[in-house]
Amino acid sequence: MGDVPILEARRLTKRFGALTALDALDFDVLRGESLAVFGPNGAGKTTLTRILTTSLRMSSGSLRIDGRDPRTHEIETKRILGLISHQTFLYDDLSARENLIFFARLHGLDDPSGRAEALLDSVRLLDRADDPARTFSRGMQQRLALARCLIHDPRIVFLDEPFTGLDPYAAALLRATLERLRHEGRTLFLVTHNLAEGLELSDRWMILAGGRIRAQGASADADRLAFERSYFEHVGGSPPGGART
Amino acid sequence: MKGGKEILTVVLLAVTAVLMLGAIYMVFVYAPEERVMGPVQRIFYFHVPSAIVTFSSVMVLLVASVGYLSTRRAFWDNLSRAATEIGLLFCTVVLVTGPIWAKSAWGVWWTWEARLTTTLVLWLILAACLMVRGYAENRDQGARLAAVLGVVAALDVPIVYKSVDWWRGQHPVVFGPGKKEPLAPEMLRTFLFCLLVFFLLYALLLVLRTRVATLEDRARSLSETLGGR
Amino acid sequence: MSAAPRRPGPGFLRGAWIVAAKDLRIEWRTLETLSAMVLFSLIVLVVFNFAFDLTTVRQVGAARLVPGVLWVTFSFSGIVGFARSFAIERHRDSLSALILAPVDRSVLFAGKTLANLATVAALEAFILPLSAVFFDYDLLSLFGPLVLVVLLHTVGLSELGTLFAAVAARVGRGEALLATLLFPVASPLFISAVKCTAAVLDGKPLSAVSSWMLMTAGFDVLYFLVAILTFEYILED
Repeated sequence: MGDVPILEARRLTKRFGALTALDALDFDVLRGESLAVFGPNGAGKTTLTRILTTSLRMSSGSLRIDGRDPRTHEIETKRILGLISHQTFLYDDLSARENLIFFARLHGLDDPSGRAEALLDSVRLLDRADDPARTFSRGMQQRLALARCLIHDPRIVFLDEPFTGLDPYAAALLRATLERLRHEGRTLFLVTHNLAEGLELSDRWMILAGGRIRAQGASADADRLAFERSYFEHVGGSPPGGART
Repeated sequence: MKGGKEILTVVLLAVTAVLMLGAIYMVFVYAPEERVMGPVQRIFYFHVPSAIVTFSSVMVLLVASVGYLSTRRAFWDNLSRAATEIGLLFCTVVLVTGPIWAKSAWGVWWTWEARLTTTLVLWLILAACLMVRGYAENRDQGARLAAVLGVVAALDVPIVYKSVDWWRGQHPVVFGPGKKEPLAPEMLRTFLFCLLVFFLLYALLLVLRTRVATLEDRARSLSETLGGR
Repeated sequence: MSAAPRRPGPGFLRGAWIVAAKDLRIEWRTLETLSAMVLFSLIVLVVFNFAFDLTTVRQVGAARLVPGVLWVTFSFSGIVGFARSFAIERHRDSLSALILAPVDRSVLFAGKTLANLATVAALEAFILPLSAVFFDYDLLSLFGPLVLVVLLHTVGLSELGTLFAAVAARVGRGEALLATLLFPVASPLFISAVKCTAAVLDGKPLSAVSSWMLMTAGFDVLYFLVAILTFEYILED
């Protein structure tokens, strides 16, 4: 694990016009750590994920990912990031293999088909590799999305509500995969409003509401009931400001 | 926000108002009647300055758009919005005064003549820029997309101008080598004065519109603060 | 599974080719865009034949009529294709994954433009012979210069179409906004396209319209550069 932060945010602020979606956030994510970010809808979780994955600019503040400023080192930063959301980011009309080979090529990997093969195997989709993605169930699509996200061996994996719409089997499989990613020493940034799942899969948690960090702590010693009470106190106590318009 | 700027705006308003009266006097009393066309020629004093102001507004739009994309400051976006709207306004003046003149000079309200066509295309481009702002999901997105379109549009204007010119031309050439007899000195003086007044009017409207946009931002931010927290 | 070698991303041209090849592969498999475009252009051609009665066509002659008909057809069906090229990225939000790839965002523009250019060119390869049949002109003798004129102008059309389709997709609007943006800005292109096509159909050499061709070449280069520089702002969330 180590105590070196791989991601440092200082007074990270995002305004949409007059509206402050994220208000001077200060936090670190350590190398190999798994951080769960909780919050109600409109808390700014997705905005935060978009900023950390370089697809949205922050309005002010500073951000360092792997010791670099993502704004000046965008390409280098993107090379170590992976993102999974409730959308799969896949092409329905391409086969599973073609999807992965496309993203492998776009990442400039050496052996795209070999890499795709290895990942298809690891998410147990090898027998369906040449079927179009549109024929896959939601759970299989999410496994393929996971393979897509890991194609370039990212060091930080961002997960934005990855459990949305998964059946229990697919959810269990995703949980197992995330556990494996943690054991491999990858950094996880898990955004969710599912408290139980988030606590189980994280080392540390953070509650975001109204664009601010309301509370944070270590997941291991979180007494589930006390945590939930504090969650609803923070979330219930603040009106749903900070929503994106 | 206050003090010096307020006073300057009021002074600009007063000067523009007084000079505008002067311009109307010059156009209708001081300037001699044109022999061939008669009184309708006096539209020229409004038509041409409006056209020049429209094209200058496109330059302001270009500068403001580039300014916004490189600094992301709301001021540039407000300026670019003002330049688009007021440019559209003057462009409309050109498109209205042109046909009035054309009806008596050429016998038709509209011909697909070069400058007229260019102006119509410009009007459409500016209107499209405003439309995108209206469709945008949020303020930032609207500002960014409008800035990109502003750059594209501003670069397009000279090309449209040139290509339409090649395409066909029967616009009267008042200045430049195509002109046989020079403008009467009174006419030239009236024209230059009108040009000055139109630029002052443009500057005034630009300042006021930018200011209103800034105030709208503040009002929104205040209502967020009061309503959201 | 953690042993993928870390490499710089693909270069500009290679990246653009990867994106374009992906789009074309999807298109080749489904033929959704091209079939919509072909059907749409057939309708436009037929409507034109309703609009002009036969005596008018004979009197005016093909060279006067066909250029306008062709370019209206190309640009209208082009709009169908440009809008769809971003619709496939919106479907599963795959645009987000493209943005995360370690390539400059202008690579995505170049790739999309390349795929759109190929799609519109395929449509044109179908429509040109058809228009020769419908309007009775001799395509074979004009083939070389006509193809050159059509391609030169299609490049600019695809660039602007791709740029504006991205804008329209960003605000969740489709063809209507795209048409509103594209037609006025592309007007120099249309004027030039009609002039050059008419010259070719009249049997004049291309040198007769060399200034138009030069202007269009400049237009193509200018808007390629402008789009490369501004595309990242459009893709920003």
